[in-house]
Amino acid sequence: VCRNNNNMASHGLAYDGCNFFRQRLVLSTLSGKRVKIKNIRSKDDNPGLRDFEASLIRLLDKVTNGSIIEINQTGTVLFYQPGLLYGGSVEHDCNLQRSVGYYLEALLMLAPFMKTSLKATLRGVTNDPRDPTVDMLKSTALPLMKKFGIDGEGFDLKVVKRGMAPGGGGEVVFTCPVRRTIRPVQLTDPAKIKRIRGVAYSVRVSPQMANRIVESARGVLNQFIPDIYIYTDHMKGANSGKSPGFGLTLVAETLNGSFLSAEMSSMPQGQGDPKLPEDLGRDCAKLLLEEVHRGGCVDSSNQSLALLLMTLGQQDVSKVLLGPLSPYTIEFLRHIRDFFQLMFKIEVQKPSEDERKGGDKVLMTCVGVGYSNINKTIK
Amino acid sequence: DDFMERTPFKEQKRHQQKHSGPKAERKKLKKQEGSTEEDGRKRNPKAFSVQSAVRMAKTFHRSQDIKTKKHHIPHVDRTPLEPPPIVIVVVGPPKVGKSTLIRCLIKNFTRQKLGDICGPVTIVSGKKRRLTFMECNNDINTMIDLAKVADLVLMLIDASFGFEMETFEFLNICQVHGFPRIMGVLTHLDSFKNNKTLRKTKKNLKHRFWTEVYQGAKLFYLSGMVYGEYQIQEVKNLGRFISVMKFRPLVWQTSHPYVLVDRMEDLTDPERVRTDPKCDRTVSLYGYLRGTHLKNKGQVHIPGVGDFQVADVNFLPDPCALPEAQKKRALNEKERLLYAPMAGVGGVVYDKDAVYIDLPASHVNQQQEEVRPTTELVQSLIDTHATLDAKMAASKVSLFSGSATLDSTDVEEGPREECVWDPNTQRKRRKVVFTEKEEEDVSGSSDDDEDGDVDSEDGDQEEQEEDEDEDNLSTFLKDARAESDETEKTVTDAPPAKKQKVEGGKKRGEESAEVPAFADSEDDLEMSEEESEEEGENVRAGDSGHCSEEDEEESGDDDDGEEEEDDKEESEDESMEEDDAAGATMKKQTARGLRWKEGLQQKASEAFLRQQKAAPNLRKLVYGSVVEADDSDDEEQELGGLFRVSRPQNSKKSQANGVDSSRFDPDASHNWDLEEMLNSIRDCFVTGKWEEDQDAATLLKEDEELYGDFEDLETGKVHKGQTGEQDQAENDEDDADDDDNESLVKVDDDEVQKKKRLEKKQRLKERFNAEYDDEDATYFDDLKEEMQKQAELNRAEFADVDDETRVQYEGFRPGMYVRLEISSLPCEFVTNFDPHYPIILGGLGASEGNVGYLQMRLKKHRWYHRILKTRDPLILSLGWRRFQTIPLYHIEDHNGRHRLLKYTPQHMHCGASIWGPVTPQGTGFLAVQSVAGTKANFRIAATGVILDLDKSVTIVKKLKLIGYPYKIFKNTSFIKGMFNTVLEVAKFEGASVRTVSGVRGQIKKALSTPPGAYRATFEDRLLMSDVVFLRSWYPVSVPQLYNPVTSLLLPAGQKDSWAGMRTLGQLKHDLGIRNKPNTDSLYKPVVRAPRHFNRLHIPKELQKALPFKSKPKQQQPKGKTPRDLQRPSVIREPHEKKVAALLLALSTVHNHKRKKAHTAQHAKHKEFLQQKEKLEEAKLKRQKEARKKLYRIQGQVDQKKSRSSLKGAPQDD
Repeated sequence: VCRNNNNMASHGLAYDGCNFFRQRLVLSTLSGKRVKIKNIRSKDDNPGLRDFEASLIRLLDKVTNGSIIEINQTGTVLFYQPGLLYGGSVEHDCNLQRSVGYYLEALLMLAPFMKTSLKATLRGVTNDPRDPTVDMLKSTALPLMKKFGIDGEGFDLKVVKRGMAPGGGGEVVFTCPVRRTIRPVQLTDPAKIKRIRGVAYSVRVSPQMANRIVESARGVLNQFIPDIYIYTDHMKGANSGKSPGFGLTLVAETLNGSFLSAEMSSMPQGQGDPKLPEDLGRDCAKLLLEEVHRGGCVDSSNQSLALLLMTLGQQDVSKVLLGPLSPYTIEFLRHIRDFFQLMFKIEVQKPSEDERKGGDKVLMTCVGVGYSNINKTIK
Repeated sequence: DDFMERTPFKEQKRHQQKHSGPKAERKKLKKQEGSTEEDGRKRNPKAFSVQSAVRMAKTFHRSQDIKTKKHHIPHVDRTPLEPPPIVIVVVGPPKVGKSTLIRCLIKNFTRQKLGDICGPVTIVSGKKRRLTFMECNNDINTMIDLAKVADLVLMLIDASFGFEMETFEFLNICQVHGFPRIMGVLTHLDSFKNNKTLRKTKKNLKHRFWTEVYQGAKLFYLSGMVYGEYQIQEVKNLGRFISVMKFRPLVWQTSHPYVLVDRMEDLTDPERVRTDPKCDRTVSLYGYLRGTHLKNKGQVHIPGVGDFQVADVNFLPDPCALPEAQKKRALNEKERLLYAPMAGVGGVVYDKDAVYIDLPASHVNQQQEEVRPTTELVQSLIDTHATLDAKMAASKVSLFSGSATLDSTDVEEGPREECVWDPNTQRKRRKVVFTEKEEEDVSGSSDDDEDGDVDSEDGDQEEQEEDEDEDNLSTFLKDARAESDETEKTVTDAPPAKKQKVEGGKKRGEESAEVPAFADSEDDLEMSEEESEEEGENVRAGDSGHCSEEDEEESGDDDDGEEEEDDKEESEDESMEEDDAAGATMKKQTARGLRWKEGLQQKASEAFLRQQKAAPNLRKLVYGSVVEADDSDDEEQELGGLFRVSRPQNSKKSQANGVDSSRFDPDASHNWDLEEMLNSIRDCFVTGKWEEDQDAATLLKEDEELYGDFEDLETGKVHKGQTGEQDQAENDEDDADDDDNESLVKVDDDEVQKKKRLEKKQRLKERFNAEYDDEDATYFDDLKEEMQKQAELNRAEFADVDDETRVQYEGFRPGMYVRLEISSLPCEFVTNFDPHYPIILGGLGASEGNVGYLQMRLKKHRWYHRILKTRDPLILSLGWRRFQTIPLYHIEDHNGRHRLLKYTPQHMHCGASIWGPVTPQGTGFLAVQSVAGTKANFRIAATGVILDLDKSVTIVKKLKLIGYPYKIFKNTSFIKGMFNTVLEVAKFEGASVRTVSGVRGQIKKALSTPPGAYRATFEDRLLMSDVVFLRSWYPVSVPQLYNPVTSLLLPAGQKDSWAGMRTLGQLKHDLGIRNKPNTDSLYKPVVRAPRHFNRLHIPKELQKALPFKSKPKQQQPKGKTPRDLQRPSVIREPHEKKVAALLLALSTVHNHKRKKAHTAQHAKHKEFLQQKEKLEEAKLKRQKEARKKLYRIQGQVDQKKSRSSLKGAPQDD
């Protein structure tokens, strides 16, 4: 009489290719759904998972308990059955192929839902041109998460050592408290930008580089607003990592406390054409203008984080005004539908004719799935 | 007496109250003010003064505490506008009158009689309330399941018998799973002949009920039966109570969607069932959705069956709807609906694609065959537009008889849709393309609408169409018809296109003239690679153009619901028209009469798909079927300057393995060196232009307007605000702007002004509200307000979106009547179906479908007669689930260690760890040892709550290793027998050991022989008889048993006989195995021989030395004097007697005299002593005096001496 009732109904999901690898693993961990990724670079000369992806899997294994990860011999097929998020004190040496931002973005999504509050020490490349740098995440992602009710004294991201690509040698400490539920938000009005802040950093090069960057960046931005302050951060000795480099992170803060940011860092040593600090500063400032043009309450690299936190909110309506959706975000929305069966209401808001507020905006609306942190212990 | 006499006759003069004068005025003043507290304070300030600050603080604290205790954490009110029917569960032991009560209540509300109550019965009880009745039988499985879904419990109690165990069991189940409203109903009250005993019983039962539920819980009395029914008035009263009752939200229910199934249909292919009767069934289940939003494709648990993935969810028109218009009057007969498909009420029930007609029992066998023809007819007649989309999405079309059915999703894939075999026309149908000329035609078609309509009048088909949906007729429809006519007339294979596309083309003008007129370029995107290769370029252009178009439309529209509806209609019509185009001639079509209806479903399905594709809005871009499509272009395309479409391409693995970065590269087309580009974002900064309602200057002006008018009281000067002027100025500006259409502006002017005024008022009101009673607002109030706002937002956000779209965003909301399709249900579910047992679909949260270790706090129920043993299987009811599992009990030591217990403590909480379904912390559970049969004893073994979820456990068991010393040095001993090898010892080096007598020690090092022996040091010398032990902790693993109770799969009538894994004790009992105990462990009667103590021997030498007191005494106790030594008694002579008497008298006298003398002497002596004392005292006093005198003199002398020595030293010298 009793047949096959012992298995639970949760079916896994299957994907092809290693694209959006992080999204799949993170959402799988949060939703508890198994995921199988096939054909990872199967046609490539060098098939299978790359080192940095393996490093991410290792990091996930460190913060979870009871995860089952199976990778076939060539590394082209990955099966991931998530365990429970455990948290605690974690140290991880990130692979140098990707910067710490790559790993940190995943951790930011997972950290509020751990069993115990997370204290992660990540070592590796802190700034590179491919991923959002730790400075940018610190100045944009953290205030964004605070809007969702994730705050408290233990919520911090500290750059202990700076390490530029390709040598790395940087160190970041990320601590995050645990939340049981996430608050719904209504971020529909970004308001006007009241000030611009930034960090111009340079390691293992002349400290004058940072000043040169600041000078040129100010030149562009001063046409719009006088309240600009760009800190120069020159790290020396042990804190300066293993490779030379410099860069700039700019953050525009609005009256309603949303942050738009842009950044640019010098090409890693031995790759590409070197860039003058003046050019870098000017280009970065233009990037910020581009970001302002896109607008919204969340900047383009944190769109997916905001959408995730909206999804995991209580069963209430959340709204966020975004700039144009990035390809990464669009894919993220699809993945959210796969993992949480949640669709966003997407409306375009066109600025009126006489307004000079940049491009079209997108208003994202959703009803949260009513996620509650099942990892947290009650006493 | 005289007083009594006087009063009745002579009335005293009444007091004349003063109406004027100072006294009256004073009084009036006093009256006006009243005796306020203030007054009292003034009159008696001492009474109100602070006596003690501490006490004042205490009273303040107390009042605050009381105030705060009343607060509950505010929750967002998520109840839908049209809530689902209230679930009323009627419970009670058998033969107590449950069915009768339900029948009476239904009759009371709907005036209908119901025979057998099986399955849920839903009725409309009032203008705003619906009720679902469900009877709960005596099976504990049913009781558990229904307690989880009940809103109100009617607990029937047989008063003639008193409380039965079931009642208490049910109450305890309720307590664990969230306490629904409980109302007691006493029946069988007519069996009491004596009025006094009746009253007494009522009172007793009431008070017992109160202690279980809460003080003052409602208990109803149904006094007696009249013709087999309860008295009408009493039932009516009960009904009134039910219909005004308020309910509290329960945590589990409000956080999970659930459906109490009131209808079940087996959808499995009959052929499959015939060939394999045991095959898994596809079943659709119906019911009102309750709790919270249900997402499609979610997981559900069916208690008694198992976990399942929902294949599909649709909502259906409400079979038991509330009356639409809210009227003052009561419900009429028509509105008092009753819906109980399981009880056979309703006759005809609709599915989304079928109609079921309930026939009397004699026809049951033929039902399948009989229903078919009628079904189609009825189906074609029913009004279906409400759920068209849903139907189409899920319906299946069989192209050839016997071929595999085509799912709409299959069709959606793309290419296949291009050539669909139309059985009507017996040919392949292909998509057709409009020519340029056609587009123009249509674009200007609004004028020749009428002619078109007239033209189409002759078409038979059109007429029918019109009949069907007259009200849905829109301009679009007309357009389409005109269009179709044109098509017919001019080109037979001319392509029909979407109006949208046409418009798009028109707007874009001539530059996109060559764009191929595929309305939905998405189709092309989804075409196979080789097909679209050449068309690629054109399509791309069309696509992007189309998209931007859509965006604009949407942003203008603000919500796409309407638009979509329009689209739908349009496409519906289009399907018709396409049909036309496909058909050789229209005449043929009309001749066939009803034939068009056959293809209706398919056509509509196509139309739906096309409509889906024709609306390429953002939603479609993100969520559309694009993901599965084979896309051939390798470059990301930009749509409307806003979106880059990223499509994972299966064909190109390079894309699938692209770089995973959240960075969004900037738009290359933006050149930030250009002034215009810079200008485009000027207003994003605080330095830019502000909005009207935020600009400081405007706000100031506004204030001026509002508060500008005032009169200076001192000078008498009146200041005027400049409202008029300013407005005038604005108007002037406006006028200046558009001189040419001045007249138009004038008309709008009033409107604008009015609007402005309204806005201003609104703003003022808001400002006032923000400022008003701000200082009273506490944190609690703020929180409440926030929740209120959120609730309003939740309601408002999707209020005006149509349900089809809404369910995609929100999920299916509670209150909807839904149909859930579940594939692969075990066949026993269908074959052993019994409507008396509730079927519940409990939705599961994000990771509640997984299994893991659960740590819980558990307490044996105080009414359960045994304690529970670790590793004995136990049936738990947790969340939606009922399952058997093997718990390990443990207790937490002071250092946080979880120590395994063999049994649960008798009256204490303990921890329990199980392997089971992941359930959120804080969820309550209850445990029973078995669910089979009914026992006299209380069945609920334990209750508790989930504390923690994990993938590993940390329970340890105490393990004592025992060894014996075989060689003892001073404090060192060699111990053997504890370990077997040197390696084992090496692992325990440094571990502390202890002897039973309490001597502590440490393991030092292993010895080579014998194996496992070691050297240990102790704090004292051991004895050979000592036993050394080492206390260690051994981790225990929790057995991974999760066995859902599948009681619903059992044959009807045996559903309460589910038996799972047996406990060890049961197994042994069943198999007749007797435990063979260790003989050492057996209890034997204790026989104690009397103890013999030797005499204490003290050496002679020592005896000598001892003092006499301690010396052993040699003397024997005096024995009896022998008879010869006893002296004889004397017998006196009379004379002797006399002498003796005299002597006695004399001696008595003498004695008396002596005594007297003695007392006298004593008194005298006393007196003498007193005298002496006195003298002594006087003497002492005298001496003291003398001494005093002496000392004084001596002192004076000394003083004199010292004084002289101080000053008279030189004199002396």
